[in-house]
Amino acid sequence: MIKGRLPLVVAVLGILPFVVGNAYLQHMLVLWAIYALLALSLNMIVGYLGELTFGHAAFFGIGAYTSAILSMNYGLPVWLGPFAAAIVAAFFGAVIGYVALRIVGPQFAILTLGFGSILYTITNYWVDLTRGPMGISNIPPFSLPGLDIDFTRADRMYYVALVVLLLVAYGCRALMTSRTGRAFIAVRENAPLAASTGIDVFHTKLLGFTIATALAGVGGALYGHYLRVITPDLMSLQYVAALIIMVIVGGKGTIIGPIIGAGIYVALLEALRVVGSLRLVVFAALLTLCVIFLPGGLVSLWRRYAGRQAAGGAS
Amino acid sequence: MDFIVLGQQIINGLVNGMGYVLIATGLTLVFGVLRIVNFAHGEFYMLGAFLTYYALTLFGVDYVAAALLATIAVAGLGIGANRFFFRPLRKEHEFTILLSSLGLSLLIANGAEELFGADPKYVMSPYADEASEIGPFVVTEQRLIVFAAAAVVMAGVYWFIRYTRMGKMMQATAQNPEGAALTGINTDFVHGYTFALACGLAALAGALVAPTAMLFPTVGSWAVLKGFIVVVMGGLGSVTGALLGGLLLGVVESLGGGYISLGFKDAIGYAIIIAVLLWRPQGLFSVSRSTR
Repeated sequence: MIKGRLPLVVAVLGILPFVVGNAYLQHMLVLWAIYALLALSLNMIVGYLGELTFGHAAFFGIGAYTSAILSMNYGLPVWLGPFAAAIVAAFFGAVIGYVALRIVGPQFAILTLGFGSILYTITNYWVDLTRGPMGISNIPPFSLPGLDIDFTRADRMYYVALVVLLLVAYGCRALMTSRTGRAFIAVRENAPLAASTGIDVFHTKLLGFTIATALAGVGGALYGHYLRVITPDLMSLQYVAALIIMVIVGGKGTIIGPIIGAGIYVALLEALRVVGSLRLVVFAALLTLCVIFLPGGLVSLWRRYAGRQAAGGAS
Repeated sequence: MDFIVLGQQIINGLVNGMGYVLIATGLTLVFGVLRIVNFAHGEFYMLGAFLTYYALTLFGVDYVAAALLATIAVAGLGIGANRFFFRPLRKEHEFTILLSSLGLSLLIANGAEELFGADPKYVMSPYADEASEIGPFVVTEQRLIVFAAAAVVMAGVYWFIRYTRMGKMMQATAQNPEGAALTGINTDFVHGYTFALACGLAALAGALVAPTAMLFPTVGSWAVLKGFIVVVMGGLGSVTGALLGGLLLGVVESLGGGYISLGFKDAIGYAIIIAVLLWRPQGLFSVSRSTR
């Protein structure tokens, strides 16, 4: 739906921080870009592989902790943090995926919930490494080698997050138009049929799961270096639910959907600040309404509209 | 001396386990009859506990009446939940239904936090502070009641499913929904009934267990996790499995918490799910696949 208009979209996204002007809205933009990245990573599992995972926030947390601990305790340059986070998260993702992907359906969701909860518990209790429930604070801000840019400022961090988001979105698109991406869809639609055409279902799923967890790790690293405080709560069910809401409300199985979903999440979170904790009820209602009445998410509204236009034009 | 500590741990574990059994039985019934993994199941436990609290404090009825009122009210809510959140999706993929139940769960949990407040509540039961001694072991009367009431209810549920007309209709629907419909069973009605029973059991668990701990609106996610663990151990859809699995989980947690580390007590349960799902996905106690 944005085909041909991509340069325009990128240009608009590029000047957004100047348009909004104030530092607080710029901060919202950074959060949006990071959440959009995370939502895209969850979309890989939920939208493309067609499995529901309740453990995705754990990989977000692993990424955040990896990058924070390596840069603070082991002197890893901060710009390498996201790469290290991707590798460590992918390692956990591969091991857990190797075990969990043998099971499908609701049991897979329960199993990932179990793994996620164990990782959360370990993070919460391994005080020597993670400082436990106190979390890690004073994480060094993001930096690039040889450049003296203060990335504690939201308008600058926004570009880092935006570039990563665009790269990931482009990567997702490239992946999904490739042979491997088509294998993902085949596995989602009908695993036995996919297997009969020679697709290795298990390893296809494992690949998708591992890529998704690696991306979640990158998101975690950016998040940690931006907010500079992380706690084990990053791995809690609250974040799992938030990511699922973004993907489902935006539109699973598309690239633009989760990005829009993240935008709606961040915008509503802010717009509904006045109603306090009632906003969580609003999010839950939004999720439920989408699941029951709009299974394709908000993106499908556009398709419906565009389809009607096309039909109207033809007649 | 050590023997006494061990015995006490096992008794505590059995009591906790009986609470898990009540939660898990509803979860397993809903899965068996409707093929739904209901992520919102724990919220009915939470509602049962809170309604008991409000019946006690606002209406001033006694504890037993409050528990019964809460159970009946939540059973009614269960019918509503099925009607609005699950029945419209009957023909959809299990994935969609699981998401709908996640939405329902978040809706109830966050709504409850808004309505009831996030501060802890104490459900006053006249039996909570009375300790009774059985040989060298000490158990509060409330905990004895949890165990005894749950045991009676479980026997009742077993009898109900096995021997009553409604129970047999539930079994038939579980085995083959189309076949059951062909023989004239109103499966929609059976589904609603199953939901009422399941949610009622969860609420009863909440009402019974609440006086033994502080009560938070977030307790539902704890309850559903325990329920999942038990159901996975016992085999999805099996009531006997839920009974054995619940007691086993209670004892294992109690011993693990006592002898290994209290912090990792909850992780033990998750480790069990992972091991069971990988080693015996059909559950520990099932001889073959129970239904279908």
